[in-house]
Amino acid sequence: MDSSSSRMRMSVIGVVVIACFVALFARLWYLQVMEAPALAVQASQNRTRVVASEAPRGRILDSKGRVIVDNRTSLIVTIDRNQLRKVKDRDELIRRVADVLTTNGAPIKVSTIEKRLADQQYDQLQAVPIATDVTEEVVHHLAEYAEDFPSVTTERRTVRYYPYGTTAANVLGYTGRITAEGLKTLQPGSDPDGVVKTYQPDSIVGLTGIEAMYEQELRGTPGIEMVQVDYRNRPVGTESYQPPRPGNDVQLHIDIEVQIRAEQSMSDRLAVLRGTPQRDGTIRRSPAGSVVALDPQTGGVIALASYPTYDPQEFANGITQERYLALQNINGASALLDRSISGQYAPGSTFKLVTATAALSNGLIDANTSIYDDGVFKVGNPEQEFTNAGKQKNGNINLVRALTVSSDVYFYWLGARMDGSTLIQDTAKAYGFAQRTGIDLPNESAGYVWTKADKRALHNKYPQAYPEGDWYTGDNVQLAVGQTVVTATPIQLARAYAALANGGTVYQPHVAWRIIRYGGSPAVLADVLRTIDPVVTGTVSLPPDVRGPIVAGLGGVTSGEGTASSAFVGFDLGAFPVVGKTGTAQVDGKADTSFFASYGPAQSPRYSVTAVMEESGFGAEAAGEVVRHVYELVAGQALTGAGSATSGTRD
Amino acid sequence: MLHQSISSRASARSRRDPTSPLRHVDPILLGCVAFLAVVGIIAVYSATRGPGPTFSHSYLFKQTMFVAIGVGVMVLLTLVDYRKLHDWAWAFYGITTALLVIVLSPLGDASNGSQSWFAIGPFQMQPAEFAKLSLVGVLAFLLSEFRGDIDLRRLLALLATAAVPMALIILQPDMGQVLIMLVIVMAMLLIGGLPTRYIVVLTVIGVMGILVALNSPVLHDYQRARLTAFMNPTDRSTSAVYNLEQSQQAIANGGVLGRGLFDGPQTRLGFVPEQETDFIFTAVAEQFGFVGGAVLLAVYGLLLWRIWRIAHIARDSFGTFLCIGVLAMFAFSAFENVGMAMGIMPVTGIPLLLISAGGSSIITSFAALGLVLNVHMRRFR
Repeated sequence: MDSSSSRMRMSVIGVVVIACFVALFARLWYLQVMEAPALAVQASQNRTRVVASEAPRGRILDSKGRVIVDNRTSLIVTIDRNQLRKVKDRDELIRRVADVLTTNGAPIKVSTIEKRLADQQYDQLQAVPIATDVTEEVVHHLAEYAEDFPSVTTERRTVRYYPYGTTAANVLGYTGRITAEGLKTLQPGSDPDGVVKTYQPDSIVGLTGIEAMYEQELRGTPGIEMVQVDYRNRPVGTESYQPPRPGNDVQLHIDIEVQIRAEQSMSDRLAVLRGTPQRDGTIRRSPAGSVVALDPQTGGVIALASYPTYDPQEFANGITQERYLALQNINGASALLDRSISGQYAPGSTFKLVTATAALSNGLIDANTSIYDDGVFKVGNPEQEFTNAGKQKNGNINLVRALTVSSDVYFYWLGARMDGSTLIQDTAKAYGFAQRTGIDLPNESAGYVWTKADKRALHNKYPQAYPEGDWYTGDNVQLAVGQTVVTATPIQLARAYAALANGGTVYQPHVAWRIIRYGGSPAVLADVLRTIDPVVTGTVSLPPDVRGPIVAGLGGVTSGEGTASSAFVGFDLGAFPVVGKTGTAQVDGKADTSFFASYGPAQSPRYSVTAVMEESGFGAEAAGEVVRHVYELVAGQALTGAGSATSGTRD
Repeated sequence: MLHQSISSRASARSRRDPTSPLRHVDPILLGCVAFLAVVGIIAVYSATRGPGPTFSHSYLFKQTMFVAIGVGVMVLLTLVDYRKLHDWAWAFYGITTALLVIVLSPLGDASNGSQSWFAIGPFQMQPAEFAKLSLVGVLAFLLSEFRGDIDLRRLLALLATAAVPMALIILQPDMGQVLIMLVIVMAMLLIGGLPTRYIVVLTVIGVMGILVALNSPVLHDYQRARLTAFMNPTDRSTSAVYNLEQSQQAIANGGVLGRGLFDGPQTRLGFVPEQETDFIFTAVAEQFGFVGGAVLLAVYGLLLWRIWRIAHIARDSFGTFLCIGVLAMFAFSAFENVGMAMGIMPVTGIPLLLISAGGSSIITSFAALGLVLNVHMRRFR
C-alpha cells in the first residue's frame, strides 16, 4: 500500500470522527437549547408530587355571633404503607397496633385495620388513617415505644365540632370525604386572595345543609406542598410550600336559642302525644314534625327544626353503613330528611288565608258578607255533602268569624263560588305555593296547587294513578280548605304568613346572613366580608280592605272562641299579640296532621312561626302549643309545660 | 559525576539529547487526560452521592483511587520503548483471552444479565475492557508484520485473532464491547492496508450480519429492544425507552448554563439509571448545561485529534496501528455513549472512557493513552 493511500485512509478516519462529533454537538444543542423548555417541564413533573393538606373549614355562627359549628383537633393513628412494606414482621406489627388501641380506649380489630390499609381511596404518598379520635394515652404509648411501631404515626387533624350537639343538624348538615363524583363536579371556590381552593381525593367537603350550600366559602385553601421525589417515588425534599389557610366563617339568621326552643318543644310535645288517641279514637303515632320561624321583614330563617334529627358529630370522622341506615328509620321516620323544607302536606285550614285573600281581593265578598252556617254544605250534581268538623253549627257568620272559629262551610261556599276560575290557585302562587322557595338548603320540595288543567294533564299522563280527570265543584271546595288537591311545605306556609305579616312581600327565605373572616367577629365591620341581601320573589296585593278582615279573623284565633285559644291560655297576648291559624289535615287511616301558622307581634311583626306535626291530631292541641313555646321565648315570657295530650278544638 | 543521582543524570542527558523521550511528552494530550479524569471524578461523585442529607462517598474514593492507579500504569507504560512491548502483545492477548474464558465459568459473576465480572473483594474486574486493549496490541503486531501486504490467508488470520475474544464476549453477553471491538478491527484493517475489495466485501457481510443478528434468536428480546429503541422513540412499552426519555429530559433540564454542581435534580434524585457509567454524560449535561457538555466534547475531540496526530507522525507502522486502535476505541466509545444518552444511538452498556465509573475501564484507558504517549515520545528514536 502506497503512502498516499495510507494518508487518504487516515483522513477518512479523521473525517468520520469529526462527523460523529458534529452530530453529538448538534444533538446537544437541540436538546439543551431548542427543546429544553418543553422537556424540562416533563422532567419537573417527573420529580415532583403535590401533597395537599386540608385547611380548617370556616366556622358557622348564629345571628348573635355564637359559634354553632367549630373545629376541634382529633387524634388519629396512621400507617404509612410505603414504610410498612419494609417492615419485617408486618402482621405482628398490626396485631400490636390493634392491642395498643384496644387497651387504651379505642378498640379496633385487626381485620378493620387491614380493611383500611387496603382502601384504594388513599394516595400512595399519604399515610392511611386507621383509627380516629383515639385517646392521648394511645398517642403517648406510640410515641414512647416508637421504635416498636415503624411506619405508625399519630396525627392531630382538624374535624368538625358541634357545641350545641344535635341542634340545627338539619340546617347545618355534615361533612365527609369527597366522592369520586364530587371530585369531578364540585366547582372549587377561591379565597380572598384569589387562590383556588382545589380538591384532592381525600378532601373533606360539606355533603348536606349549609355545609354543602356554602362549601365555596367554608372550605379552606389547602396547603400545597410540592414534594420532590426520587425515581422510586420516595419524598426527598420540598420544592415549594403554600401553607393552608382556613375558610370563611358563615353567620346564619338562625338564633340558636330559638332553634333549641323549637326543637325541644317539638320533641316534647310529640312525646306527650305519641300513643294517645285523638278525638275520633285514632292512635297518634306522632313520629315527626317541623317548626319554621322566619323574620317577616327579611325572609331570614330564625329557626328551622325537623324531628327526628341526627348528631352531625357522627359524621365528623366518617359514619358506618349500619348507623347510616339506622338514622333513616327512627320510629318509621328518617332523621336525614329535613321536613321543614321537603315535607309536603295538605295544609288544611291554614290554607284559608289564600282562599280569603282570593275572595276579598276579587270582590266576591267584603268583611261583612255573611252566610248561614248550619254545619253542612251541599254542592254539585250528583250532590256531594261537606261538613264542618263535628258538624258544628256556627249560625250567621262572616269572614272574620269564619277564620276565627274555622268555619269550613263558609270556605266551602267560597270554593264553590270560585269554581270555574283559577282565582284561588293564582293567589296561592302569589303567596309562593306550588314552587320552591329558593331557600339556601338542598332538597327542597315544591308542593302543588292543582288547577283543572293540572288534574287533566296528570290523568292523561298517569291514568292508573289518577283515574279521575274531570274537575268537579267538589275539587274547588276541597281546595278552598286546603285538602286533597293542594300540598305545601312548612317553609312555604311560614313564608305566606310572613307575607301577610309584612303587608304582601314574599321573600326568598335565607338561612345564611353574612360571610365573616375566619375567627373574626360579626360585630367588627372589617371582618364582615359580604352580606347576603334579602331577595324578594313576589308580592301579594293586600290593601287594607283585604288584609284588615283577614288579620282581624286570624287575630281572634288565639283567644276567646278562637280555635287555638286553648293552646294560648296563660300567654300574655296583650304584650305579644299572635295572629295565626290552626289547621288539621285528614290522612286516611292515620291520625290528623296538625298545623299552626302564625306571626307576631301583630302590630310590628318580627316572627312568622309555623309548626307541622305528623299524625298528631288537631292544630291547636299539637302544633299550636309548640308555636306558643317559641313565642314565649322571643316575647320574654315564662315557658309553660308540655301540656296534656288532649286540649283544643277541632278546626 | 559519581555523586550525581541517576535521575539527575537522566535529566541532564535529556537536556542535551534532542531525541530524548522526556523532551517529547505531549503536554496537550496530558492536559486533556487530566481534565477529563478530574471531570470524571466530579461527575461520578455527583451521580452517586444520593439526595442527601447524608452523602455517599464510596464512588468518589473508588474513582479517585482508580485514576491514581491508572496514572501509575500510564507512567509505567511510557518508561519502556513501545517496540519492546511488541513481543508482549501475544502474552497479554493470551492472558485476557484466558480471563474471558474463566469469567464464563462459575468463578465469574453476573450482573444485569451478563456474566462479565470477577468479584475481587469490594471491587469488580471486567476482563472485556482489558481484552479490547490486548486486541489492539496483537492486531498492531500482525499488521506491522504484514507491512500492508494482506492476502486472504492473512486477512483470515487477522479476523480469527479478533473473533476469539469477540465470540467469548458475545457469550457473556456484552454487545457493547463487541461493537467497540468491531469498530477497532475495522479501523485498524483500514489503516493496516486492507485492499479495497476486501473492505467492500467485509462491509457488505457486516451490514447483512447486523440485519440477520437483529432478527435472529441469538439476541434476547430486551437486547433487540434496546438496540432499536432509539429508532422508535414513541414506543413507550420498553424500559429502554423510559431510560432514553429520562436521560434526554435530564439533559434538557440542564439548559444552556446547567443547574450547577450537585444541583441537577434528575441526577440527584436518581431518575436516570446507570448514571455513573452508561449515562454519565447526562449527569454532566444536567449540571453544567450546554456549555459544560460542549466543553467536555471539545476536550474529548482535542484528545482524539492528538491521538490521530500521533498515529500520523509515528516513527513506525506498529506505532501508527497502536494509535489508530486506541483512537477507534476512544472515538467510538464516546460517540456511542454520548449518542445513546442523547437518543441518537442504540442503548448499549458502553462506558465513556476516562469519565465513567469503573476500575477496569479507567485503568485500560490510562494504559492505552500511555501507549499512545509512548509512541509520541519515541518518534525520533
